[in-house]
Amino acid sequence: MGYLTSILILGCINIVVVLGLSVLTGYTGLFSIGHAGFMAVGGYAAAIIYIRLHVPFALALPLGGVAAGLSSYIIGYPAFRGKLRGDYFAIATLGFAEAVRLLLNTTYPVIGGAYGLMGIPQKTNLPIALAVALLAFAGAQSFVRSQHGKNCVAVYDDETAAQMMGVDLLRTKLMALFISAFYAGVAGALYAFYMAYLSPSMFGISKSSDLLAAVVFGGMQSIIGPVIIAFVTVALPELLRFLLAWRLVIYGLLFVVMMVFRPQGLLGYRELDFGPGWRRATAAVASRLGKPRPPRGPQGPVEGTP
Amino acid sequence: MILFMQQLVNGLSIGAVYALLAVGYALVYSVYNFTNWAFDAFMVVGAFAAYYCITLFGLPLPVAIGLAMLVTAGVAVSVEVGAYRPLRVRQAPRLFMMISAMGASMAIVNIVNLAFGGSFRKFPEISSASVELGGVYIGRMDLFAIVFSFVSLSALWLLLGKTRIGLGIRASAIDTVTAGLMGINNNSVAIIVFGVSGVLSAIAGVFFGAKYAVYPYLGLVTTKAMIASIIGGIGSLPGAVVGSLLLGVIETFVSAYISSVYRDLISFTILVLVLLFFPNGIMGAKTVDKL
Repeated sequence: MGYLTSILILGCINIVVVLGLSVLTGYTGLFSIGHAGFMAVGGYAAAIIYIRLHVPFALALPLGGVAAGLSSYIIGYPAFRGKLRGDYFAIATLGFAEAVRLLLNTTYPVIGGAYGLMGIPQKTNLPIALAVALLAFAGAQSFVRSQHGKNCVAVYDDETAAQMMGVDLLRTKLMALFISAFYAGVAGALYAFYMAYLSPSMFGISKSSDLLAAVVFGGMQSIIGPVIIAFVTVALPELLRFLLAWRLVIYGLLFVVMMVFRPQGLLGYRELDFGPGWRRATAAVASRLGKPRPPRGPQGPVEGTP
Repeated sequence: MILFMQQLVNGLSIGAVYALLAVGYALVYSVYNFTNWAFDAFMVVGAFAAYYCITLFGLPLPVAIGLAMLVTAGVAVSVEVGAYRPLRVRQAPRLFMMISAMGASMAIVNIVNLAFGGSFRKFPEISSASVELGGVYIGRMDLFAIVFSFVSLSALWLLLGKTRIGLGIRASAIDTVTAGLMGINNNSVAIIVFGVSGVLSAIAGVFFGAKYAVYPYLGLVTTKAMIASIIGGIGSLPGAVVGSLLLGVIETFVSAYISSVYRDLISFTILVLVLLFFPNGIMGAKTVDKL
């Protein structure tokens, strides 16, 4: 039971990060190869405010997310301001993740440095992880259906055209980045309180690659596709242990094969749909969690919100 | 003063390695307008090929470098044909090119890792002797790296500026489609461009391996080269060289006078500052007309 629970909890945590990354990469077209860096920021921030400032666990989770979100502006603002190509942003995220890891490694006297941060109580259990994952799912769903989400899709499709239609590029991109970093931060915090231990090496490049793989395989502009893959990429290595070492080789080759033959991914531009009942249920959850803003201007009703 | 000069030379020698990589990035970027994210993998292949040529077959260094160049150019061209060309022909979005490139890089690096093992290998000592120049000791290998890098960069400069092949590449850099209409074979241009960038990354891999160690994740240093080419202005070849030397020297001085722990942190800070204040890089004005 314990083993299965642990897979489920790690799967839920992975789903939360991947949801955020899906908003950034799948919907806005911004490529992050350093998302583990935001997880690290969120995890460490939540753990430190819990241990040092005795902030309650329920508050430490969102605060970890906010810390990660704010830290994302360090790279977001410079990279987006000048309307630079996506490559600059991608390299900035990679640099950010490395910088975070190096900084954490040099903090031995304060938070353990490379030895890791110990003494975090184990607070995350299955109900909490599931609840957060569901909340995150509903939140992401309602975001991408809102006007802001549509702005993100417009930026993905054609930046110039989006700008002509009055989309504020800088604001839209920063918002997508903030949300995805916030999600990563919350997931990092959940992870910290589940493992009861943090070390900078947990948030290396291969973690970022795993996350990216979930979004790419799950599909662009889809929420449910990446979620499924995010869960599978946690559960599958447990079943196929003998393939663990070859995992990254297989991911890499699949990246290429997928881009050549099916670039939209598993469920690209599509959502799971089980008929009107399912649509009503998801819409009800979404609207309870934050009403999508009514469209501004003479566009008429938004098609995505039934 | 002696320490200052010593560090300057060290900085230039690592800057020369960055320059080889940054020029490779700039070359591909200027023609295809996309960053070749598989570059780190080429560098790893080059370093491993040279390492095994020397240790297994006992070949002399120049032969090993030559073979490493050939192998890496082959890998680079096959990545181009297998992972990029189908997307380029379809005019796929840049995001897909990036993902495909990342995939190729992940696969190659991890194949090397699994096939040869992840340990750090010391590059066989070629010559530990150093040359004394006015009280400054320069390692033979450092000197060789600086000289060889600049010889290869000059050769590239001549290739691009003085030959018919270079003319074709420059035409493609201005407008690939029109160049194709004018009778330039875009596929052979692609093979030459990727082959040349493979050769450059092989040289960089060998020198980096000789300076530090040979290991599967040494390709991470290409992040620095990319930062250097952003400092210099992305897509500009002279900018890439200037940015690389600058970054190499700054990094070395930071390690020498402050702490080597903060070396990589400083390069990241520089990247953020450059993006904030000089988004086009120091040679930014020249990136408009490319090459």
